[in-house]
Amino acid sequence: MSFFPPDGLVAIVKRGCPTCELVVPALRELAVQPMPLTVYVQDDPAFPVGLTAVSDTTLEASYRLNIEIVPTLLRVVNGQETARVEGWNKDNWRRLTQVADLGEALPDHRPGCGSKSVEPGMPEKLAVRFGDATIASRRVEVPPLLDDIEFCYEQGWSDGLPVVPPTEERVFRMLQATPRDPQEVLGLVPPNKVPLTVEKVAINAVLAGCKPEYLPVVLTAVTAALRDEFCMHGILATTYFSSPVVIVNGPVAQQIGMNSGVNVLGQGNRANATIGRALQLVIRNVGGGRPGEIDRAVLGTPGKYTFCFAEDEAGSPWESLAVSRGVEPGQSAVTLFAGDGVYAVVDQLSRTPESLARSFAATLKTVAHEKLALASEVLLVVSPEHGRVFHAAGWSRQRLLAELHQRLLRPGSELVRGANGIAEGMPEQFGGETAVSKFPPNGIHIVHAGGPAGMFSAVIGGWVATGSKGTQAVTQVVV
Amino acid sequence: MGVPGLFVASTAFIDGAAAQSAALGFEPEAVFVPHPIQDRTDDEIRAIADGVVAQILAKLTTTVA
Amino acid sequence: MTILLDPTAELRPIKREKLPRPASLAGLTVGLLDISKARGNIFLDQLATHLAGQGVAVRRYRKPTFARVAPATLRQEIVQDCDVVIEALAD
Repeated sequence: MSFFPPDGLVAIVKRGCPTCELVVPALRELAVQPMPLTVYVQDDPAFPVGLTAVSDTTLEASYRLNIEIVPTLLRVVNGQETARVEGWNKDNWRRLTQVADLGEALPDHRPGCGSKSVEPGMPEKLAVRFGDATIASRRVEVPPLLDDIEFCYEQGWSDGLPVVPPTEERVFRMLQATPRDPQEVLGLVPPNKVPLTVEKVAINAVLAGCKPEYLPVVLTAVTAALRDEFCMHGILATTYFSSPVVIVNGPVAQQIGMNSGVNVLGQGNRANATIGRALQLVIRNVGGGRPGEIDRAVLGTPGKYTFCFAEDEAGSPWESLAVSRGVEPGQSAVTLFAGDGVYAVVDQLSRTPESLARSFAATLKTVAHEKLALASEVLLVVSPEHGRVFHAAGWSRQRLLAELHQRLLRPGSELVRGANGIAEGMPEQFGGETAVSKFPPNGIHIVHAGGPAGMFSAVIGGWVATGSKGTQAVTQVVV
Repeated sequence: MGVPGLFVASTAFIDGAAAQSAALGFEPEAVFVPHPIQDRTDDEIRAIADGVVAQILAKLTTTVA
Repeated sequence: MTILLDPTAELRPIKREKLPRPASLAGLTVGLLDISKARGNIFLDQLATHLAGQGVAVRRYRKPTFARVAPATLRQEIVQDCDVVIEALAD
């Protein structure tokens, strides 16, 4: 911060700007006035002809002086800017310079051009170069001749897909999307219980391919994952499939262009893809949770690359998932669920909610194993064409949940180990029970999403360690 | 602080144990038993325990039991 | 030359050495910590039988769930009451 502009008049110009060419005669007039004139040129120090100009090809002066338009004319007294004019405006230039007949031959007014210091990507580069970026992470040099992305692979920073190399500029730009201090600690990230800073999240969000405007959602998802009741350590280490499924509610989903419609659980949307991936990369890179090491999944699931989507709230027959979990309507929130794969429920014939609920229950009872009860929570993604059946019949979320829980009661005799010739099943003490619930009381989560056509819904099973012994879904408000 | 110890895991977790040890900077004594465990009968589990008692005692003390 | 920012924790753990082992278990108390994975109790029952047969005092402990680390109170209890500890059985 050792830059002070010289006293007197300061002009910032570039040769590539026609308005700057236009004002050259006025600058020549100013050069012979008693008040000293300093001309900074952003692109070509030989310009303007006939004047001694200071090269600002590094753009440091332009950056320090917050120049957005060229030409800009400043008046500086004791190192402090006291007046500024952007573009050419005869009256304003005359007032600022106190030269009454300045630029007599010039038109009255001509708008300026964009400063090179505000070209796309340049503010971040300049902030990094001139020391305003307060990034604490270790700098790593990519060896000459080595491709940046290949280098990231070699460092072990990738989930298998290419990552966006986290340059200082990109990370700085990412951090601009949050007012939070880069060094603020969000919590301890498993499995290595490492303090997680906002900055480390931003770096991994860059790796994942996030746009800066996704960062608040990423920070919220990460914060939710660190909550004790979610049990991220166990989810990571388990031999089971599970991995965080990120569900985004509220206005932020639309603001950042998330998909809640066609192919909602599939590929193709940058926000969906990269927010879920950023969470995974934080666990991998900061937490040290890598497959084959602490991550012991026997099979895993494609959702361990990324699994993130938005709820279709506008078309939903119900209040949103977040609102049903206590979030104020109109607030944005992220819900995390430890899920495995996507399981199809086909029902192209049911026109009554009773019939459709039975179809849902028929699939829900098979989660993990038809003979296992109270083992996990479950996420039910109801599509629009299924949702409208409940809407038409006036079934609330609670009504559907009550029906599903009722339909999923099974006599213990059918579930115990050995029943139906299957060794797997519930311990013997369940044998005498007449009605065993499939899921814990608040263990069925319903979300409305998907394209307009297709009478299919989806079941996403949860980790088979639930409640206080494992994971519970968590909802975190986006701040 | 603490007490000397040892953990028992099945052979499927040798890699996992190594990764966790590296991350924590601590390499505890370990005894690995044959995988799998979950589908064993009680007698099979007891036989596995019988097979590693001597090894466990040896690793817990400085003299061979 | 490209400069990248390290996305990892940048931490190198401090190496800790194993605590010295006793010469023998005679007169000592051995804690058996069940991590709550299914079948582990059978294994530890059998181990307890062997230890008791050698005149070693045995105390039994159990983590509430295999999915989480042992609570601090349980760890303190073991440290206070036992001379050595055996944890089992991860499968």
